[in-house]
Amino acid sequence: MENETFNKEILEKLQELKIKPRARWHFLLKNYAIWISGILALLIGAASVSVIIYLSSYNDFSIRQDINKSLGEILLLTLPYFWLIFLSLFVFIVYYNLKHTKTGYRYSIGFIVAFAVIASIFLGGIFYATGLGKELDEILGQKAPLYGEMINPRVDFWSNPEEGRLIGIIISQTNDEDFVLIDKDQHEWLVKIESDDFAALHLTGGPLRLIGEKKSDGVFEVFKVLPMMPGHGFFKRMNGGPHPPVPGGPRMMEQIEINF
Amino acid sequence: MIENIEFEQKTDEELVVIVLENQSVFSYLVNRYKDKLLRYIRRISNVGLEEAEDMLQNIFIKVYLNLNDFDDSLKFSSWIYRIAHNEVIDNYRKRKARPQLLDIDIKDSQIKELAGDTNLLEELARQELKQEISQALSRIDVKYQEMIILKYLEEKDYQEISDIIKKPLGTVASRMNKAKAELKKVLNTNHKL
Repeated sequence: MENETFNKEILEKLQELKIKPRARWHFLLKNYAIWISGILALLIGAASVSVIIYLSSYNDFSIRQDINKSLGEILLLTLPYFWLIFLSLFVFIVYYNLKHTKTGYRYSIGFIVAFAVIASIFLGGIFYATGLGKELDEILGQKAPLYGEMINPRVDFWSNPEEGRLIGIIISQTNDEDFVLIDKDQHEWLVKIESDDFAALHLTGGPLRLIGEKKSDGVFEVFKVLPMMPGHGFFKRMNGGPHPPVPGGPRMMEQIEINF
Repeated sequence: MIENIEFEQKTDEELVVIVLENQSVFSYLVNRYKDKLLRYIRRISNVGLEEAEDMLQNIFIKVYLNLNDFDDSLKFSSWIYRIAHNEVIDNYRKRKARPQLLDIDIKDSQIKELAGDTNLLEELARQELKQEISQALSRIDVKYQEMIILKYLEEKDYQEISDIIKKPLGTVASRMNKAKAELKKVLNTNHKL
């Protein structure tokens, strides 16, 4: 290869094709776009962690004997699979973006994935503490399709009167011992309670989880009543709006647990 | 002439800054790298001289086009070798052919280092060993071939190899160990035969 000829050819080609170095902003823009989309993916992943923490903080482990389920069964039936898949997807996007930054190749897959997971959990914890997890669950409960089936599997888990679990909102009280509850499929149930403690219940307004026994079609006898915190927004869809206010605020609802 | 000497004395990184203002200075960078890159292309691909020169031309055009993307977080030589490495890979894909070693010129000093690192058979005459290494390299996996070529023939360190092939240092180290083991295995098999 002739030195001068080759050099001349290169320079001639650059001039002939009017090739100019691409502008610096072009590369900077690409780099910023990768970083910004990576950070956004991290924030979305962290938001999903905050919902996972919120959903998990209201698990049913302590009442497993009342509902005749083992720890493993409860875990399997109520794990927030949707959010775990959502989180995995955004961890992958964070990984992909970090790997495509200028020096991303210097880090191993394990390091980047571990970083993305730990950062998502850390930020997710902060988001949860600020109430984002609850807020997101409330909004999605009101608006998202397939909320009860996919986003919050506990709604489905508690909608099983055959196994003694029923969830819904009280729409009216027929007498001191009976009231009418509407479930997630808008079916009405006559719920029977033999206790004076019922007086405290109708004030809760929000969705309730009932443990008891299905007596016949549309009739359910209750042994235990618990509030339902995640999924609260989902039941606001019914009857076109919010329920009566809860005396003492939401924390009071969480504390209510009445045995009959 | 004074200007020529001045440019000759500049580092690659300094020349890049000047080239962005003055296209003709690009020939100094071309001069510094064309022989090295042509040899590298021929070592890691199965293309003939003419095709290798076409690839080399494409490489320099890409280098010029992307000069603003170069930053001093890595050596210019690593950056230009990376562009060459990518060009060779693109070429494989277009040809849909796996590369094979065609033209390996190995210096005695390089043979000595490679032989030392892989505990190769000392009793082999140097010329015979050189030929055997060339043949053995052609028979190992392409990703291992390139490891040996970059380390022993192009004389790059692990950090430079990591920057060229865009893999973490740990991956480079483990791939290098596997490459040496593969090479040794093939050489020992050949020698027994």
